[in-house]
Amino acid sequence: MYGLTMFWDYRVILWHGLLINLLVFVLSSCLGLVVGMLACIGRLSHVRPLRAAAAFYIEVIRSAPELVLLFWIYSVVPVLLSEIAGSRLTFNPILSATLALGLVSSGYFAETFRAGIHAVPAGHVEAAHALGMSTPTILRRIVLPQAIRLMLPELMSQNIGLLKTTTLVSVITVPDIMYQINLIVQQEMRPLPLYTGTAAAFFLLILGLTSLVGRAGTRSREA
Amino acid sequence: MGFWTRTLLADAGPLWNGLYVTLSISVMAFVVAASVGLGICILRGYLPALRPIFAAYIAFCRNTPIFIQLLWVAYAWYDLLGWPKEVFTAAWVALALQSSGYLAETFRAGIDSVPLGHVEAALALGISRLSIWRRIILPQMLLTIAPSLMNQFIVIIKCSTLVSVIAVPDLMFQALRLTGIWGDPVPIMSFVAVIFIAVIMALSALSKHLADLTHARLQS
Amino acid sequence: MSAPAASLSVDTTAPAIRVVGVTKVFGTVPVLRGISFDLERGKVLSIIGASGSGKSTLLRCLNYLERPTSGEIWIDGEQINPAQIARVRAEVGMVFQQFNLWPHMTVAQNVMEALLRVRKLPITEARARAEHYLAKVNMLEAGARYPAKLSGGQQQRVAIARALAMEPQIMLFDEATSSLDPELTSEVLDVMRGLATDGMTMVVVTHEMGFARDVSDRVMFLHQGVIEEDGAPALVFSHPASERCRQFLSKYLG
Repeated sequence: MYGLTMFWDYRVILWHGLLINLLVFVLSSCLGLVVGMLACIGRLSHVRPLRAAAAFYIEVIRSAPELVLLFWIYSVVPVLLSEIAGSRLTFNPILSATLALGLVSSGYFAETFRAGIHAVPAGHVEAAHALGMSTPTILRRIVLPQAIRLMLPELMSQNIGLLKTTTLVSVITVPDIMYQINLIVQQEMRPLPLYTGTAAAFFLLILGLTSLVGRAGTRSREA
Repeated sequence: MGFWTRTLLADAGPLWNGLYVTLSISVMAFVVAASVGLGICILRGYLPALRPIFAAYIAFCRNTPIFIQLLWVAYAWYDLLGWPKEVFTAAWVALALQSSGYLAETFRAGIDSVPLGHVEAALALGISRLSIWRRIILPQMLLTIAPSLMNQFIVIIKCSTLVSVIAVPDLMFQALRLTGIWGDPVPIMSFVAVIFIAVIMALSALSKHLADLTHARLQS
Repeated sequence: MSAPAASLSVDTTAPAIRVVGVTKVFGTVPVLRGISFDLERGKVLSIIGASGSGKSTLLRCLNYLERPTSGEIWIDGEQINPAQIARVRAEVGMVFQQFNLWPHMTVAQNVMEALLRVRKLPITEARARAEHYLAKVNMLEAGARYPAKLSGGQQQRVAIARALAMEPQIMLFDEATSSLDPELTSEVLDVMRGLATDGMTMVVVTHEMGFARDVSDRVMFLHQGVIEEDGAPALVFSHPASERCRQFLSKYLG
């Protein structure tokens, strides 16, 4: 029926492709959260050079197109490392994709963390200081619990954005779902049903996730 | 160092052309997306019956990965409609499709940010609906959303790198092609990355500046 | 100076405002329940009442910012026709509680906007007229500034100049001083008092009982969408007929 049965015929490789997307998503999200948190800490630090370096890193990484970073890490970084190491290195495409998307998202995550921490009213911190609490305790007990709740919806939607971005990784030969779809299109010569079906499937997946996050966001604001 | 100089001199032409293609596609996509987005935003108010259709359109644009939209427009639309015939057209159509959904929402937020009282004051003076749109609502809304518009333009430039995949000769395409010719990705890829980062950083600085200006103007 | 504009055929024998059986229902909530009155030319009418009494809604019905659910509004002997409302609105100035100056235009541009778009004056004439009315409210020197840079009292004076520059037959004031700090209300009330002295027909919704008593020719007390009291200020303030009006006034006058 309109060629949509092809999705069933190729279900196994499509499923494997989707798993690769999820793998890249999970790995790069973790990397992005860790690097983003480090960058945020640097950005808020009292040490001036550290603060400047973190600000510069965030600014640059947020200005780099995803695709440029993907190609740069996949093709340039191994060459540079080979020169340092003195022997020829290559990067696995999945590793490159994880690094690139992890760095891209670290820039966004860092800004979200910072905004969340800034959104905690200064008066709450002053009140804790007035009670004699130490700065780490204030951070752990007063600032972070509030900040995390404030930034959770934004983090969720950024993660959904990251999941959308994982569809780019086929350009550096990661065998993800788009890679498989493109192969099937070449084999079957039927772009209309294949691309339309893929667009519809992703639309429903992302829309579902977005509305889930939206509902969770409303609930956390009401709480 | 010699490597770099050689790259810059020998390949300045193609890279320059590539940047030109990147920017033309982005500007084209932005203008179309802004027009469609504004049209949807205004029509939605006047045609309540069509609201579900507009909502579905916006949801589709925003919730589908741009790479799929690009391939869908370039190959599936072509298969069905025989259009767009040129990859250049497919490129800006796909980018505009994605952004029109985001911009429709941006415009809506902009209109909502104009206080009803400002419209009532104009009505009370006998100013016509059309003049109110043109002179009171649009200018205020544009001031408010100027930074968001600029950010969407930046998003379009970033996404435009994808069009190299459907063989549009943009800056990214030239970088990949020259990498193949030189057999060495380091200078070309790094140089192109620097160009993109510089262009986008300049635009976001401009966007921040705009936001400060508007904030000073509209705060009350 | 303020020659009556030619666009409205003014019937000088008719009352400035005639309200006949006006009702207004928001959803299922009746806000105005059969309001009728005439206001003569050159008189100042103050409408007082608790919040929720319908006094602002009544004022907004007079220039159809709020469309009455039923009833008629006549301005200068002409019944309001919703299709041609802009023509009437140009003759009826309105001043809002929140000033509603347009923040993207300078003070002078705010005043000139309707002169250019509605009156279609040439720009030099519009500028001259804007300056005249800005001078009248003591805001001439602020012409090139943006509203955000002005105090609330200054913004409200500019808003009054914006309405006056149209040289309207009638001025409506919707709690014009309610969002101002106490020390800024007097500068606005002074301007309003000056207008009353010049013989402008005014309808003033206000919480300023002093102004209502001293400046107006007539005071109307509204309660739950009905006129409970209507008469000369001396009468309404010293011998209110209704118990509710007495209670309301005792809260304000102590």
